[in-house]
Amino acid sequence: MSQTLKGDTLPKWAPIASLAIAIGVAIALANTTAVAGTAGTSVLAVLIFIAIQTLWSFAVEGRRHAVDRVATTLIYATFVAAAAPLLSLLFEVFTRGIKVFNLAFLSHSMRNVSPLKPGGGVLHALIGTMQQVGVATLIAVPIGILTALYLVEHARGGRLSKAISFFVDVMTGIPSIVAGLFIYTAWILTLGFDRSGMAAALSLAILMLPVVVRTTEEMLKLVPNDLREASLALGIPKWKTTIRVVLPTAIGGIITGVMLAVARVAGETAPLLLTTFLSQSINNNPFAGPQAAVPTFVWDQLSSSTPASLDRAWAGALTLILLVMFFYGAAKLIARYYAPKA
Amino acid sequence: MKFTRSAVAAVAIASTLALSACASESASPSASGSAGSGLTGSLKASGSSAQKNAMQEWINAFQTTNSGVTIDYQANGSGAGIQDFNNSQTSFAGSDSALKPEEATAASTRCAGGTAINIPMVGGAIALAFNVAGVDSLTLNPKTAAGIFSGAITKWNDPAIAALNAGVTLPAATIAQFHRSDSSGTTDNFTKWLLATAPDAFAFAGGKDWVAPGGQGAKGSDGVAAGVSSTPNSIGYMELSFVMSKGLKAASIDNGGGAVEATSDNAAKTIAAATVKGTGNDLALNIDRKIADGSAYPVVLVTYEITCETGLAAADSALVKAFLTYTASDAAQGALAASGYVPITGDLLTKVRAAIAAIA
Repeated sequence: MSQTLKGDTLPKWAPIASLAIAIGVAIALANTTAVAGTAGTSVLAVLIFIAIQTLWSFAVEGRRHAVDRVATTLIYATFVAAAAPLLSLLFEVFTRGIKVFNLAFLSHSMRNVSPLKPGGGVLHALIGTMQQVGVATLIAVPIGILTALYLVEHARGGRLSKAISFFVDVMTGIPSIVAGLFIYTAWILTLGFDRSGMAAALSLAILMLPVVVRTTEEMLKLVPNDLREASLALGIPKWKTTIRVVLPTAIGGIITGVMLAVARVAGETAPLLLTTFLSQSINNNPFAGPQAAVPTFVWDQLSSSTPASLDRAWAGALTLILLVMFFYGAAKLIARYYAPKA
Repeated sequence: MKFTRSAVAAVAIASTLALSACASESASPSASGSAGSGLTGSLKASGSSAQKNAMQEWINAFQTTNSGVTIDYQANGSGAGIQDFNNSQTSFAGSDSALKPEEATAASTRCAGGTAINIPMVGGAIALAFNVAGVDSLTLNPKTAAGIFSGAITKWNDPAIAALNAGVTLPAATIAQFHRSDSSGTTDNFTKWLLATAPDAFAFAGGKDWVAPGGQGAKGSDGVAAGVSSTPNSIGYMELSFVMSKGLKAASIDNGGGAVEATSDNAAKTIAAATVKGTGNDLALNIDRKIADGSAYPVVLVTYEITCETGLAAADSALVKAFLTYTASDAAQGALAASGYVPITGDLLTKVRAAIAAIA
């Protein structure tokens, strides 16, 4: 017959058919040979799938299409491999945590609740986390934003600014336990303060600070120089230009950065173990007395390791994930609201 | 325009903080109330995780009768607990072992010249839980236990085990042995028992870390319990409460005076028979691990509360005294067995009460 411009192609259902065959063969092999477990079988299925499809494609479509199909398959497979742990983690936490996660769990503390019996809740820890993160934000955000303003607006490339940038970078890499140890030795052992929500807030502030400085710096750098020059050309002093022109232009990105920093420290456990004294009761004062937090609540319930307390630990983990998701969601909304309008 | 923007920005930040203010108003029903007994204040303690659940139950009961009091016990481990106490972070420490001499020196500095005392308060039994199909009861003696845990005995139908279990059909299966992979007081006391009773059969160092080869390590008593319950033909050592909560079977121990079941009552007899090695009101104990009484379960551990006999701040001292008086009461000690712990009984309990009465 006449020649067409298009070469032969595999039917549309070819990938699905090869995949079905590959899964079937992999399961059959898993049942008869030493390939063990879901993970091993999945990997085997993918390999068989690639082999079948490539050979089939090579025979019908030729070399170029076969290579294209291998590359496509590998890209999809790596995507699944990257997403699988996250989805599996979320699935596990939701299914296990939902068991005792309800309004009563969110509105009760653990005071006078037996580790062996169900009941009690996360309220005391939620209050603690909110206050500790809140105080940490109040400490870290003004310092962070002012540092970034100095770096971008005032000291472009000076020796001091280079030193500050260097130390902010170093601070970004500080493991959270080290921040906790620093506050433990400096604030608690040396200065003699009690362990409290405040001590926890200080260690969280250390972790927040570099994130706030970095994101604010990047946002300020995005502000077009024309705006500053126009403002200065109208005879407006520099400080007023910074407050009325530069900051409002960048505020959306700055707030997003702050929210991301909040979300990052809300789940920190290690510094809290050293700086707060775990509590089972509600303490509304972050400046005195033991105060719980959601991550330490999970740790504490886990260490009781009774069936009832393990259920509470999972529900606590779910609470923490929802809390962090709430912060990320808020950050997205704020970023959208303040996005420069065309 | 600018005003609305900054207003929204302020609201966004403030709302995250304000959530905590809202939450505090819907306080838990049991979180507040007036003091019934006149005792008020808060007390901090930390240390041994082995006594965590017992301590939590006691705190709940004490807070229920004294609603003006808040007690927090942080189970961060014996060593950290003693350090917290010596740094004046806490009013008493829970510990799996009595103060060592160097710790005692630091503790007496913390007690402003007074002495720090060890008060035995919570006992525990270490059970050898097994999971062998068709075997409901099993008796082991120190020699066979040491053989199993050192790897010398590898089969369940080994003649040494069979000799102790006449009438029990033991399978020819390989023994799967579980031990703790983390550092723990349970391992310490278990190896102390092995080394005291069967030094020839267990040729390894004791201590908090398991050093004998072979077997599988698992983290925490719950890890060992989970391993034993999911693995056929396995055996592992763990605190008695985990045997109860996981529904496992525990081996009886024959220390020379006949097979003794691993129960809270039987273990209490071994602890009651311990001799005091401390002086005065310091009740550091010497446990007779070779005890060959037909009703005393020999594999036990004792956890202490460490506090100042004198030298605590007055307000703390009153609270510590009231709380420890409660924990040494018949009601508090009697409640221990239900959660798998072992009560302090007999003469020792009388001494404990006398020591607490002397706290000033």
